[in-house]
Order: sequence, then C-alpha cells, then structure tokens
Amino acid sequence: MPKVKMKRTGFVIDMTPLVDITFLLLTFFMFTAKFKSEADSEQKFQIKRPKTQADTAKLPEKDVAVIRIAIDSTKATDTAYYFSVANPELWNTIKEDASLSEWFTPDRKEASKGMIKTVKIEELEALISVSRTQAKAFNITKKTSAEKAQLRFAIDSDKRIRFKWVSDVMEALRRTRQTQFNFVTDKQQ
Amino acid sequence: MAGGGDLGGGGGRPKRGKHSKRKAKKRVGFRIDMTPLVDITFLLLTFFMFVTTLTTPQVMDMAVPPETEDVEVAESKLFTVRVREDGKIFYNQAKDIPQPILMKELRAKAIKSNLDLKNELITVLKIDENVPYETVVNILDELNLAEIKITQSLQAEKLNRERKFTISQMTDKDKEEIKGL
Repeated sequence: MPKVKMKRTGFVIDMTPLVDITFLLLTFFMFTAKFKSEADSEQKFQIKRPKTQADTAKLPEKDVAVIRIAIDSTKATDTAYYFSVANPELWNTIKEDASLSEWFTPDRKEASKGMIKTVKIEELEALISVSRTQAKAFNITKKTSAEKAQLRFAIDSDKRIRFKWVSDVMEALRRTRQTQFNFVTDKQQ
Repeated sequence: MAGGGDLGGGGGRPKRGKHSKRKAKKRVGFRIDMTPLVDITFLLLTFFMFVTTLTTPQVMDMAVPPETEDVEVAESKLFTVRVREDGKIFYNQAKDIPQPILMKELRAKAIKSNLDLKNELITVLKIDENVPYETVVNILDELNLAEIKITQSLQAEKLNRERKFTISQMTDKDKEEIKGL
C-alpha cells in the first residue's frame, strides 16, 4: 500500500536543548573574551614573531613591560621602539615622571596614551630605568602582594628586524641592571 | 500566540479576582516561539567566537651578564658560536679554527660538547648586527632544545645541570676570524 504523503502543518521542533547549549557556549566565550587594551588599539603594525619549539611559558598579562620593535610601514627600513607597561596605574606614574619631561613633551604625551614610540635608544633606556624605579616606589605603597607589580621586561620584536635593534635594547637593559628579561615568541605548529 | 490581555480596558492591568473577567487557566502544552531568541544568541555567539584570540604568545627566558669587571675563564672551556653577516654559523671550542655548521646540526653538536665537559662548558653566542632577529631566535631555540637533552643525560648521572651561557658583542677580531671561511 502506498504511503500517503502528509503535509505537516504547524510542525514544531523543541529548541530548548539547542538554546541551552548555545547559551552555554555564549557565556563561555563572553567570559574568555579579552578586549583590546589601550596599547593594542594604538598599535598600527603587526609583529611577525619568530617561531620556537622549546618555549612553554606564556607571556604574562599583567605587570609586564613590553618593548616592541616593529616594522611599522611598508618600507622595511622604518623601524621604531614602542614601550608599554601593562599595569595602568604604574603606567601613568611612569609617564608623569619628571626625569622624562625633557624629551617627553606634552604633544608627544598626547599621542602616546598606551605606548611610547621612540627611535632613540637613550630615550628607551630612560624609560626602562624610570619603570624600574617607579615599580619599586609603587610596591612600597601597596600592602598585599596581589597589588604589587612584579615588573618583567619582554622584547617583542619582528623576526625580520636586524639584530642590532635587539642587541641595543639588550645593552640598554644591561646598563639599567635589568639582566633578566624575555623574548616574545610564537609556538611552532 | 499568547492572548494580549484586556486591551480594551483602557489602562491598568486587569485585576485577578472575583470581578475579573479573566479566568486563571492552566495552559497545557504552552509554547513560546524561540526562533528570535536563538537568532540573537547565535549572532552573539559568533561575535564572541571571532573576537577571542586563542593563541597567546610565549616567552623565552634571556639573561645578560651584569656590568661588572670581566671574569677570567679558561679558554679551553669556551664553546663559541658565531653568526656571520650572511647568516652562516661557525663554532669553535677553545682555540680551534672556527668550523662552519648548519642550523640543524647545531643541536647535536651542542649536546655532544656539553656532555663531554659536563657542567664546565661555557657557551658564548656572538651575532653580527646585520643578521635578522629570526636567525638569532632559531639558534637560541636549538640551544634550548639541546639543553633539555643535556639536563636529562646529566640527571641520569645524578648531576645537576648548571647552564653557562652568554650572549656577547661581536668584535672586529671575531669578524676577522670568520671572514674568509
């Protein structure tokens, strides 16, 4: 006997499990989503990091001073240092430090909310030195260890940059007695 | 759909009680159309999925020697790795003539040299200023990978690994030594 094809009018699927799972995923992604910091939104370049196999430690999200060395235009020769500190409170005190006022003029300050661009290694060295002293002063005012900033330095350089740029930063770090630091890399797939 | 209440009443919610026209009914098999809800939820879900970055960058530990007076070391314990301007790598131990080495051979060489001298060997890395940063990191990565193997081998002999490594400036003398090779 041939089956009679019935038109199912008002056909309803129970969507409740679907909605359950979707909400679950939605909340997961909402909580894990990290929004761009001020330094990131100011960043107009992209850093192609070198790839490594041996490294396992992740770049800390807080209390890290990052020195970015990037190719920030189509011309490969146009390079600059970008300095930023992830702790906003500490970052503001660094920018207001009197010893930087000589070259860190108000109009430059206006242009560098999240990170300071410089091409001069002396300026970068002054920034590193100021960050170290300000971090010490900052930690004295804080009581709990959670509030204190364990300032770490990381060099985030583009892989196409000549080593001279990195080597100059390493020398600057050495002169400011910051002998421990990190190179930022990407995981080799 | 849900019955819109007493619309003609002109303001005020219909009272429930004796005088109310509505009767509280148990609505069996009551359904809400969930499609708009699902639409919006999916939209938000895709948005958050695209903005999240799952790969966080990693860090490699580096250290530079502090600015103190030079430390005297025995030259026989020095393992020098030099990188020339064109990216060629040369190694030499003690006063030997620098030998060219390929990037992929470097790890095995570093393991062997270190295990021969246990913890005594001092690795010095000297890199020309014009070498791209990528090459530098690749060499450091090879040496770091060698380090894992060295630590394991020394642990088998009940020895603790003390890494002696430094990155130092390439002098004109260094450049001269590897020039014609």
